[in-house]
Amino acid sequence: MLEAFLSSSIGMATPVLLAAIGELLVEESGIINIGIEGAMLSGAFFALAVAYFSGSTALGLGAGMAAGAAINALLAVLVINLAVNQVVAGTALDIFAVGITGVFYHKFFGITGKAFIVPLIPKLRLGPLADIPLIGPALFHHNFLVYVTIALVPATGFLLWRTRYGLSLRAAGERPEAADALGLDVYRLRWQALLASGVLAGLGGAYLTLAYAGTFVENISAGRGYVALAVVILGRWKPWGLAAASVLFGAAMALQFGLQALGTTIPYQLFLALPYALTLAVLAIVGGQAASPSALGEPYRRP
Amino acid sequence: MLAARNITKRFGTTLALDRADFDAHPGEIHALVGENGAGKTTLMNVIAGRIRPEGGEASLDGVALPVGSALGALKAGIAVVNQSPMLFERMSWEENLAFGGFETGRFDLATVAANARRLAARLGFALPYPGTTIDERSMAERVRLEILRALSFEPRVLILDEPTSVLAPSELGAFLHLLRRLRAEGRIIVLITHKLSEALSVADRVTVLREGRVVERTRPAETSEAELARAMIGELPEPQTRAHLAGGDEVALTIENLSLQRDGHRILDRVTLSLRAGEIAGLAGVDGNGQSELVEILARALKADSGEIRMIAAGGDAALAVIPENRDLVGLILDMTLWENLMLSRPLRERATRRAWLDREHAIELCAGLLRRFGIRAPGPEISAAALSGGNRQRLEVARAIASDPRVIVAHNICRGLDLAGTAEVHRTLSEFAAAGGSVLLISSDLDELLEMCGRLFVISAGRIRETAVSERNAETLGMLMAGSWT
Repeated sequence: MLEAFLSSSIGMATPVLLAAIGELLVEESGIINIGIEGAMLSGAFFALAVAYFSGSTALGLGAGMAAGAAINALLAVLVINLAVNQVVAGTALDIFAVGITGVFYHKFFGITGKAFIVPLIPKLRLGPLADIPLIGPALFHHNFLVYVTIALVPATGFLLWRTRYGLSLRAAGERPEAADALGLDVYRLRWQALLASGVLAGLGGAYLTLAYAGTFVENISAGRGYVALAVVILGRWKPWGLAAASVLFGAAMALQFGLQALGTTIPYQLFLALPYALTLAVLAIVGGQAASPSALGEPYRRP
Repeated sequence: MLAARNITKRFGTTLALDRADFDAHPGEIHALVGENGAGKTTLMNVIAGRIRPEGGEASLDGVALPVGSALGALKAGIAVVNQSPMLFERMSWEENLAFGGFETGRFDLATVAANARRLAARLGFALPYPGTTIDERSMAERVRLEILRALSFEPRVLILDEPTSVLAPSELGAFLHLLRRLRAEGRIIVLITHKLSEALSVADRVTVLREGRVVERTRPAETSEAELARAMIGELPEPQTRAHLAGGDEVALTIENLSLQRDGHRILDRVTLSLRAGEIAGLAGVDGNGQSELVEILARALKADSGEIRMIAAGGDAALAVIPENRDLVGLILDMTLWENLMLSRPLRERATRRAWLDREHAIELCAGLLRRFGIRAPGPEISAAALSGGNRQRLEVARAIASDPRVIVAHNICRGLDLAGTAEVHRTLSEFAAAGGSVLLISSDLDELLEMCGRLFVISAGRIRETAVSERNAETLGMLMAGSWT
């Protein structure tokens, strides 16, 4: 019972953490990517569609990442090259993604009534580690995307704080005009961060359809992209902080499923709202001040 | 040789640089002096590739410098120490310096720190604790770090924009010594400053900029501080004593021992001043010597560490109107209509209020009346403030201040950017206000304006205030006083 809960928490945390890691990269470069929800939703749909028609999970994952990157490329043109307000452009792309995935979904599957189902990515047991009581099943019996995501946490920390590239990226988010004066290409750095964030959000979306649901329903991301935004704030822009905040959300998700399964008379909608309400409550308590990159959200125009 | 030819740069309608020429040779320290807004920093920004000029070109050793490319200029060997350090706040100082030339291939902060320490020791600079971030450092520490970063590029040309203003006196000697050593190594040193004594003591040549034009090229041996001050400020009208604007004996406002510190720096130092009824008193100074903070304190937007401001004139604090310097940012809300902007003033709002409701008709009528009375050219009260020209915006602010029926007006750089007619109009309005018994404190970096308008004239430098005698009211003396020769 507890094992199942812990395992489910990790599983539910993974797509949010993937998106949040991408959001961290892009925020450190100075852009707030509200469009992350759209990138995630597009990733979810196109991953499933490609996996369904090609029969290849690998191609599906690739398509999910490509779809996320494509949404963010659109955003990059708007917010980097045209210096459009980042919140407005991001929100527009979120709505766009709901629309375009909905239209395609109905076009291909809505009328025929065919089952839009693919086999789930199999779980891997990590040898003897999976046999450790409690921790084993919770941590070491998951699909490979979970392990990739966990590995990305220290890798992101290393990239941002231990490499010259990470330093440049943070410089672009801290003081773009000074970064420019030192010869860094702020536009290029921010483009790269947005594309990487799109790939990760798209992968997070692909996780939802290929590793969790096995199918697509409209608006399947259900605000997980926005939760990733909150997770970055809760995690104080630190990779392990992001991981902890994601697991908190994942645990709330797992808990609400458990509560629903108990079969009480309480309306199930209240349980559905639990993870989001919890995120909101923690955010209100922890607060979001300081710690954010100084130039976050400010469009940069080269003089 | 560093050479800039015919550099012209426009910001909006103002000509920041007007066909400026500049030369500096290897092995020389070249001082570039001028008042605020003379174009010193703009000229160096053009050379450093940060600003694309409308005309002209720059070259180093006969090779044209890339236009508008900061990286190109840096690679060509031009490094800049900025007036306000361009550092990354949330990063440690080691990370900031890692953008410099301290590295030896691999990304390794320990190497960066070690190399920085070696250079810092040579210069006599103290470095912060390892790992501390910039946002905790003082201004002087930031400037030191930026000097280190600039030097780490081993530049052919080192441009220093007002670097000494934040260095401690104990550091100044070592710093000037460092400049001389860099000169001995055959580098080109450009020192931007408005401290004439400094320019004369350390520079080999001096170029003076005024209103975007080069007005003087000379050597310290061939000139004097007085001569440079005159070149920097230009010819002034004969000083006049405006007896009718000197006011009576009645005191309207007193400022006593106002002091303010920020980041360990003294911004205001026991400022004491009393304003008489019916006078226009002037406060002259180079921008950044504490004027803005004084205005903010008077506007109650900032709290002084110690000292007292007392409104003695009838009406108390409500009768003090402050017109701050940056009108677009502080004074007017450009998206709102003219009459709405007027209603931001509490006394005017109260006048247009009927039983807790704002009487729109009345407010618009009030606005239309002011537009006529102050000759503000606007189609009507219901257009947005953004549609007004700069001059008319300024007049609207003055109109709002005067219409609120104050006894004392504090105005900061009120005519900056105004054309002659607009300036005359604002001056006439203020004179009438003073003639009717009001008091004005006119804070300005424009000496012409102050000499023309003011009965008494004060000078502020490094946060300290000093009253000037009539005999001191000439370009040379005032220039030297503003440059801090008495502090």
